[in-house]
Formats: sequence, C-alpha cells, structure tokens
Amino acid sequence: MAHRLEITLKPELFDAEGEGICKKAAAYFNLPVEGVRTVQVLTIDTDLSPGQPEIVRTEIFTNPVTQISSYDPLPLEFDWCVWVGYRPGVRDNPGSTAVEAIQDVLEIQFPEDADVYTSRRYCITGPELARADVELIAQELLSNDIIQQVRVFSKSEWDPKAGIGLIIPRVHLNHTPTVTTIPIDSDETLKRISDERNLALNVNDIPVIRSYFMEPAVRADRKQIGLSDPTDVELEYISQARSDHCNHNTFQGLFRYTDLDTGQNDVVDNLFDTFIKQPTLSLKKKKDWVVSVLWDNAGVGRFDDTHYYVITGETHNSPSNMEAYGGAITGIVGVYRDPLGTGLGSRLVMGSYGFCVGPRDYKGDLKPRLHPRRLLDGIIEGVRDGGNKSGIPTTFGQVIFDDGYMGKCLVYVTAVGIMPAKVVEKPAELKTTNPGDRVIMCGGRVGKDGIHGVTASSETFSEHTPAGHVQIGDPYTQKKMHDFLLEARDAGLIQFITDNGGGGLSSSVGESARYSNGCEVWIDRVPLKYSGLDQWEIWVSESQERMTVAVKAEDVDRFMALSEKHAVESTVIGKYTDSGKLHLTYDGHTCAYVNMDLLQSGFPQWEFDAEWRSPEHRGLHEPVLDEPSDYRRLLCDLLSRPNIASKEWIIRQYDHEVQGGSVIKPLVGPERDMNSDATVLRPVLSEKRGVVFAQAMLPMYSAIDAWHMTSCTIDEAVRRMIAVGGDPDHIGGVDNFCWPSIQYDPKKNPDGKFKAAQLVRSCRALADTCLAYEIPLLSGKDSMYVDGQLPGRYGETHKVSALESLQFSTIGVIPDIEQTVTMDVKMPGDLVYFLGRTRNELGASEYYEHFGYTGSNVPTVRHEAFIKTYRALYQAIGRGVVASAHGIYRGGLAVHLAMIAMGGNLGLAVDIAKVPAESLRTDHLLFSETPGRFLVTVAPENGMDFESLFDPEQCACIGKVTDTAVLDVCRGLKPFISVPVPDLKSAWKKPFGGLV
Amino acid sequence: MSNGINALVLCGYGLNCDIETAHALELAGANARRVHINSVIDGSVNLADFQLMAFVGGFSWGDDHGAGVIQAVRMKKNAGDKILKFVADGNLVMGICNGFQTIVNLGLLPGFDGNYQDRSVALTFNDCGNFRDDWVHLQINEETPCVFTRGVSRIELPIRHGEGKFVAADSVLSRLIRENQVVCRYARADGSPADGGFPDNPNGSMHDIAGICDPTGRIFGLMPHPEAFNHPTNHPDWPQTKERTGRGEATAPGFPVTGIRMFENALNYFQ
Repeated sequence: MAHRLEITLKPELFDAEGEGICKKAAAYFNLPVEGVRTVQVLTIDTDLSPGQPEIVRTEIFTNPVTQISSYDPLPLEFDWCVWVGYRPGVRDNPGSTAVEAIQDVLEIQFPEDADVYTSRRYCITGPELARADVELIAQELLSNDIIQQVRVFSKSEWDPKAGIGLIIPRVHLNHTPTVTTIPIDSDETLKRISDERNLALNVNDIPVIRSYFMEPAVRADRKQIGLSDPTDVELEYISQARSDHCNHNTFQGLFRYTDLDTGQNDVVDNLFDTFIKQPTLSLKKKKDWVVSVLWDNAGVGRFDDTHYYVITGETHNSPSNMEAYGGAITGIVGVYRDPLGTGLGSRLVMGSYGFCVGPRDYKGDLKPRLHPRRLLDGIIEGVRDGGNKSGIPTTFGQVIFDDGYMGKCLVYVTAVGIMPAKVVEKPAELKTTNPGDRVIMCGGRVGKDGIHGVTASSETFSEHTPAGHVQIGDPYTQKKMHDFLLEARDAGLIQFITDNGGGGLSSSVGESARYSNGCEVWIDRVPLKYSGLDQWEIWVSESQERMTVAVKAEDVDRFMALSEKHAVESTVIGKYTDSGKLHLTYDGHTCAYVNMDLLQSGFPQWEFDAEWRSPEHRGLHEPVLDEPSDYRRLLCDLLSRPNIASKEWIIRQYDHEVQGGSVIKPLVGPERDMNSDATVLRPVLSEKRGVVFAQAMLPMYSAIDAWHMTSCTIDEAVRRMIAVGGDPDHIGGVDNFCWPSIQYDPKKNPDGKFKAAQLVRSCRALADTCLAYEIPLLSGKDSMYVDGQLPGRYGETHKVSALESLQFSTIGVIPDIEQTVTMDVKMPGDLVYFLGRTRNELGASEYYEHFGYTGSNVPTVRHEAFIKTYRALYQAIGRGVVASAHGIYRGGLAVHLAMIAMGGNLGLAVDIAKVPAESLRTDHLLFSETPGRFLVTVAPENGMDFESLFDPEQCACIGKVTDTAVLDVCRGLKPFISVPVPDLKSAWKKPFGGLV
Repeated sequence: MSNGINALVLCGYGLNCDIETAHALELAGANARRVHINSVIDGSVNLADFQLMAFVGGFSWGDDHGAGVIQAVRMKKNAGDKILKFVADGNLVMGICNGFQTIVNLGLLPGFDGNYQDRSVALTFNDCGNFRDDWVHLQINEETPCVFTRGVSRIELPIRHGEGKFVAADSVLSRLIRENQVVCRYARADGSPADGGFPDNPNGSMHDIAGICDPTGRIFGLMPHPEAFNHPTNHPDWPQTKERTGRGEATAPGFPVTGIRMFENALNYFQ
C-alpha cells in the first residue's frame, strides 16, 4: 500500500519559494496572489509494516526545528490548491534519494516495482483569483506539461481527508521486448519505415544501407547466426550513427559556393577538414603545448609538466526549448561527461554557459512553446543545479536576447577538466580497447528517456517533435560516478572510457569497439529503470549519467569493488573482440550483427548549394542618422539595453568558487558587480599557475556578414584573455556553431543557399583568424536547424530562424596568477590609455540596433596590427605596469568607459579627440564597435614605460582617473558627457537589478 | 611541514569541497586524508587514527530532502556511535556549509549539556529564495570558546548555498548567545551587525548567525567556506590590494586574513 507524506515549513517560518511565486505572479501576469505555501509530497509506493511510516516521517523527512508533516493532508488554508507531479517515466531525483534513505533507515530493500515519487502542492491565497488565473499560474510558473501533470482544486472542491488522492506515476509498459525484422525490398519501403519509426534516415543513405544488407557475402554471414533482413536494432544503430548530430554531415559536406556579385564559383569539399582540421594540425606542429586534438571527446593541452587541461563545448538547444530546466541541466551535466571521458579521464574544474533567447519582455503575437522569460528562468535554474550540484564552478557566460531565438533557444555549455599527464606511468591522453576487455556500463540505468534525441535535434522543431527526448539530468548520480571513475583511473583500472551521450550505448560502444575492431554486447544485461524496453530502445536510449568503460578481464573485480564503495552501479554488458563485427545478443539470440567498417565507408556526402550576395547587393546601407545631442541620456539608455545590462542575478546563482581556486571571478571591482573580461583559476591548488578562460558571441554581425561575425567573435574571445594577462602564445580555441538550416527548399527554406554561404564564409573566417592568431581548435561542436515554427495571432504559423551564431571559447595557461589584472580602474590620478584604432564600423552595432537600424559597415578584424598590440599589452602586464585593462566590446567606447569607471567606482576625465581614429563624428567615435581595442589604466610614473611598448598609431593617453566618481567626456574643449558613476550604474542595473 | 595531526576529510555521495578542504588543512600543517563516507561506515578507515574530522561542503545525496539531512541520517544510523566516541575522545569536528547542515542534523551542534544527538537548530532556505555565491563579512565573537577562531576578530569568506538561514527557537537562540556558542555573525563591511539586511546577511539567518560551536568549542559549524580562502588571490579585492601595495600604500589592516587561519587554530589546539 502506498503512503503519502506531506511536509511543509512551520507556519511561522518564511516560505521563500512561495514568496517567489507571489512575486512572479504579480510581475509576469499582474495577478493578485496574496500568499503561497508550498507542501512537499512523498508518495512512498511500497508496503511498510506498522510503525515504519512513523520512523520514516520523523527520522528522515521532518526537521523538528523547521517542519511539520503528516500522512494526512496538512490542513493549510487556501483559496486554491495546485498539485504538480511528474509524469510517468520522468527522472525524479529526490524520489531516488528518498528510496536510498528509507532503505537504509528501515534496513529493507524495495521490491522491483516499489518506488518513491515526489510532487508538490501549492496552497494559494488570493480571494480575487479565478480558476483561469490559477491555471495560468500552474501552467506558466509551476509546471511544464511535457514532464508534469497538474491538478487544480478550489477550496470547495478540496476534500480535507482525501487531499490530492494517491497518484502513482509508475511506468507500466506491459510489453514483451521484441526484435523486428525490417523489409528492405525497395528504397521506398525503407524510406516509409524510416518515417514511421522516426529514424530520420537521409534519403541518400537508403540505397547504401540496402545494398549492404543485400550483399551476398553479408547475407551469408548473417544467415549463419540466424539473421536475414536488417533488424530494427541495426537500423536504429545506423540511423544514430549517421545523424547530423553524431556524424556532422553538414560540416563534412560538399559546398558549391557562388558569389552572385562576381559570378565566381568554388567548391569546398568538407568544411571540417578544410577549415578546422587542417589549420589545427598545422598549428599543432608549432605549439608543443597541444597534446591531443580532433579525435577524443575533448581536446587536451598542457598545463604543466605533470598536468594537462581538457576542454570541450556542447549545446542542448532542442530539449531546452521544450523543457527549459530539464534540457539545460541535462546539457551541462552532459558536457561534464566529455572531459571525464577524455583520455583515461579528467577531473572537472570549470564550466561556462551561453544562453540565447527571445526578448525577456516579449509582448508580440508569436506563441512559442515557452515564453522567453520563462524559458530563460528555466535554463538559468537548470544550469545552476547542474553546475552547483556537480561541485564544478561556473565561472563565465553570456546571455543574448534576440527575436531570432524565439524559434529555438540556444543553450551553450562548456567544460574544462584537468588530468595528470601520466596514469600509472602511461600517457593519460591515450586510450584504446583490446580484444578481451570487458564493456562496462557505469552510472544510471536505462529507460525510454532520450530515445531519438539525436535525430530530433537534427530536425526543425515542430509540434510533432517527440517529447520523449526531454530528460532531467541527475548531477548527484554523476558526481558519485565522477569520483569513482577518477579513483579507478588512478588505480590503473581503465583502458578506455567514453560517455553515453547522443546515441547512448549505440554510439559509445560502437565507437570504442573500433579500436579493438569488434564487440559482443549482451543487451539483456543492461540494467533498466523498468522492464518492457525493446532491444533497440536499450541500445539507443540516451538515459543520462552513464559512461562506458573498457576494463581488462583481470581487473573487473577490483573495478566493481571500487564501484560499490562509491555506491555507483556498474555492469559488465559485453566484451571487446577483434571479430570485425558489432554483435549484439539478447538472451543468447543475436539481434544485430553488423560489419564494424559499415559506417566508415560508402555513405554519400551531403551536398549544398551556397549563394552569397554582398551586403550592398542585398540592399544594406548605412542609416541616414544625424548626430544626437543628448549623449548623457543616450549612454544611460544604451547601458539599460538588455544585451548590455548587468546580469548579476544569474552569476550569483552559480557557484563560481567551489574547488577553492578562484583568482579572477566573473564579477570584479570593489563592489564586486562588474563583468570580468575573462576568468582565471588555479586548477592545481598547490601551484601558482593558472588557467585563463574567456568566451564571446556576436551573432548580430551575421545580419551583415557571418565572416565578420566569426572573426570579430574570435577576436573578442582572444582580447578578453589578453586583457587579464593571458599569453598570446598559448590560446586554445573551441568553436561552437549554431546555425539555421542550410538545406535549400523553395518553400520551406527559400534562403537556405544564403545561409549555406554564410556558413562557408564563417568557416573560412574561422580558419583565417585562427591561423593568424595561432589558435589551434582544441574542440568544437556544431548544431544545425536552429529554426522553429511559431503560431501567430490568426492561426497561421511563422518560420523563425536564429541568427547565424558562434560561441567561441579561448583558454590559456599563465605561469603566475598574481600577474593577472582586472578591468576596474584602481587609483585616482592614473592615466587612461586607449589601445587600437577606431574606424567607422557601426554596422549591426548596439547603437544602430537601438534605433532599429542594421547599417552596413560591419566591424572588421585587422590581425596584423591587432596582434602587435596584444603582444605589447601582454608584455606590459608582465612588467607589472598595468593597473587595469579592459577590452572595448559591444556598445563601443562610451559604454566601456562607463564599465571601467563603474568597475572602480571612480571618475574618468577623458578627451576623445585623442583617440587614435579615422576622422569620425562624435557618436561614431563613441559607439563604433571596431575590434582590437582596449582601455588600460596605468600609474602616472609608469606612463612612459607603458607607451614605449606600443606603436604610437595604436596607443594614446586619453585622460585620467579622477576621485569624483563622475564620467566626464569631452572632445577637445567641448565637454559633452558628464554623468555621475552611480547614475550609470543604476541605468546599467535597471532592467534586471531587481532579480535575485 | 606536518605537525603530526591527522585530519579526516569526508568525501563521496555528492560532497564536493573535499579537495580544497584537504588542501587547506595541509597548508595549515595537518596530514589530511580524503575518506569516503562508506569507508567510515564500514570501518575500513578508523576514526581513532584522526584528531580532526571535517564534514565538508557539497550536495550530499543531492540535498533533495533538506540540506545535509540524508547524510546525517545515514551517518547517524551507520556510524553514529563512532562519531560520538570521536567527540568524547576530545577531538575536533568541523562542519562547513553542507557539513554544518549535516552536523546540525546529526545533533553534534549545538550540543547543549553534552547531548550530541538532539536537533534543535536548523539551516533552511535562504530568504532571497535562491542559491547565492558572494563574499561576506564575519564578526567573530571574541568570548566564544571556539578553538577555530582564536585570535580572529573579523574575517571575510565566501558563502555558496541555497539553505543557509539559521533558525532556532527563541530559547535556543538566547542560550546560544548567552553561552557564547555563537561564533560568527554576518556583518557589514565596517564590522557593524548586518541586522538581517540583504546581502550582508545573505540568507536571513536569525541574529545574523553564520556559525556556532558546541559548549566545549571543539565542534564548529559555519556556512561560509574558510577553505575557499586558501590563497590571497581568492579574495575578491586582491587586484586592488595588490595595486595599492605596489604603490607603497600600506595594506588595509588585517588583510589578508586567509581562511587558513581557522585550520591553523584547530591544529594549534593540539600543541
């Protein structure tokens, strides 16, 4: 019999969660909610003997100081009561830990079907509220119908004895696992089945798949083990492996690029090889700190002689767009498995994020599944719980608001790890599988969650996207696994390790078996969350928090003993072979038998037409805009623009100091509220060496040319590192592309060829800029199909495509953390230097955007001049003559003068006539977004020394720091901005300053 | 430079400050060893070999049912006697953040009248409604018997928690205050009491309480993280301080007092 325990805070205690709901209901929907009290509900679905429920209640789940609880509904007053619980099969993390605790305290073992389900009941007071209001609150603040179920009770509907009733979301599949043989009599049949089963096979792959299964030698082989036509397990395996997500078909595609202005054509065969792999390999020869790139789950660089750092990036866009919290937490927890699965495994030391959503205050007619504000709330919370509960500091990030992200949001996540250079005398960056090694799955169990996640993210979001790919990450289970696997690594027990992400076992085992050239997997041994999964589902399920490890047969016992000590579930599910076959069995019967080399050969390359038209020929031009006169107000308004404004509320929710190595935090300055250019941390606490990390995103420039979007983004990420003292000779890069669909279709994607051209240009710029700055790409990721179909006001739907977006991360190593600097001005009297040169480059700037213009003069990177300045600044910081340094980024000079003044809470007196520049109008000087520029402050006595390092064309003293806390800007004799710094700060904090 | 004191740092089950806590103890001169909770429970590691036990920060068991609650339940059930004996033997116990939450739920604190099993104080959800990472100013009670804070009157440390609001009945609070078991309180930058004001008091703790000890002063729990102030560059003001010092200005008085001082005090107790 099930027991339903309700727990709540004592009535005299403040209910912070309830208060948060009241505030949001008022702020978001203007609803008169007077109070909310939250009740946690535990539905314990197992038989307990008399007395046991009371032990469970008092000894585990009720804090005598703060809580009251009861197995009867708690008699809380309300006008409306909303119950929210998970749908069957949704990951319930608190439910699992409750089972652990109950089993331990009662010394019992839950039977197979028994479980604990957690849910919440909200007691809402507000006599004015109507049912529709409460349903709105339930829908928009308290639940997401994809993963949760909701019941609303009015006061009169509530039965104080029965309460919410006994709701048990147990999964009942009532299904016998079955392997289905799929007929392949024609391409049409296979295409039809692909559509029916949501396999998302590419039409061009179908003949290749068919011809493989019809080959006489293959058929003869298969006949011997009792197979004929392909099984569903095999086709699912192929579909996963061939998906754009796993195989990067777009980046490996053939592009026919035409410049429609000049009529010139050229062909790019494989963007990845041409613009990522080749440049990186050539740079690897020059940079001895590049340890391992282009093959593993993450790239590896040298930290010092005995440690390597590991870095990679990911996105989790489609799932987050459906279920923001679940998608985002799964994304960040997922990316943390990549460094853990790199080489023989690394310890996670840092994470970062990038969120792109529609305007937070969107009031238009389009109806996205989740309003951008709610979407962002959920994403923030997902990354918060995923990062914080993993014990990994989240030290950096960006948030960008743009209408284009209404169709699909972007959730970027990046992870950095550290590994010893050697593990038991073996190079830690290398790994392989050998015949006889056991295949061990560690961590979570397998359920239906995430099935077809990979193929869904390779498609445009629509009503028919299966909701099954929404999951909720479990950082607790993963943290245990992380600690366990590192101990196993150090004991020399791991031969190979990789994570189960997209494609699940199908991809982790499939890929690791390439090294030994074969494997045999006993699918029936895979531990399941509930019975009734088909074999193919077990094979491709993306249930989270799992790693696949190869362990020598003789080490299995030690490995399992360690696993048990760490309370991690590990299971031998097969062995690696050299048979040349991927061989899966279930209860002894073969259900898949495929040549290991099937996926490497014979599949046709994807092909794209790319047509470029220059901005001029697309009709873009500079706006006809006269110079403004009220610069004070203009500057304050720019500071209040959402993409510029302070987002401290997000940063403070993220533990950015755990692990104890924080050096430059995401927020700096005496008031600890300004965004740092980059972050610095000590991953090895006993050393003074540090890791410098920065990121940038400038998708707005894609509105003019993705080439310049790309080079400016990379330049900004580099400049951010340089600004804190990063070494220009050690910059590792991570490219993370998110692009709208580039597959041309006259009706569905009429500008597909243009978007394809933007991608080609972006990749060219990536290669060009990385070669110039000497940035090997340690890792990268691409996510295509950032488009959505949104219903409008009249029942019509609109296709909304995101801006072509690239998040670029830079990482470096510095020998002495105490040599780093922050962006805040430090001392009155210091000289303010401007580095770089300002040009008329306001195209797609924040300034133009403020007026609704795009313009055409897109900011342009001039590598040669920039690099000289960066090297000189590095030298200056090394000499200790720099008091503060800050790049001039989005918003331009005026915005960033404001930033450094706010940073130090000091004033500036600056003459912009001294700024090295083309002859420019004042507004252009102030708001141009020319890259390559910095603001640096220097003690007066160090001025000469500082200047001597720079080309005088690229360096000028433009003023000084004052103790008045006023930003004074003049041009020659003409003063035109004088704003108290506190006013700047209040403008900058206005949009989001009230959020916690 | 070890002074022969063995410190046990718990790890496993979602704890995540074990490495830096061990590092801080080593810096202070201890032999620190990270020990999995299960190794304490199954006896493969013997508490009798240690003089200090650190319950560290993290999210034990995901903190899904109240922070530190399940860790306390599991430890009490499976190692409760060993821990009580460890305390009775005159050793030191430190609980930081999740560790504080845990030892409060174990009943090691407040430890009135030598009773180390009663739960009479709690740490609950921050009034601000969210997890928060920030640095706080702490005013140390110089009358406290706490051995960890001797000679320290003020310190800045980071807090990083969602459930740090200290709550207790009035009678318990007044006894804690009266008997100087309140070790540190959240303060303003000038050292005056935060008086509940956010963000100086980051979580709404009653009487600004950030940390308490037992009547002997040997068991100490606090929400802020001394182990995360193990190097001058952990302090958010270090770049400004470095610049001022470089220009010949005297360093602000008392800076830097790193969190290591608390660990050193603990080890000095055994001298």
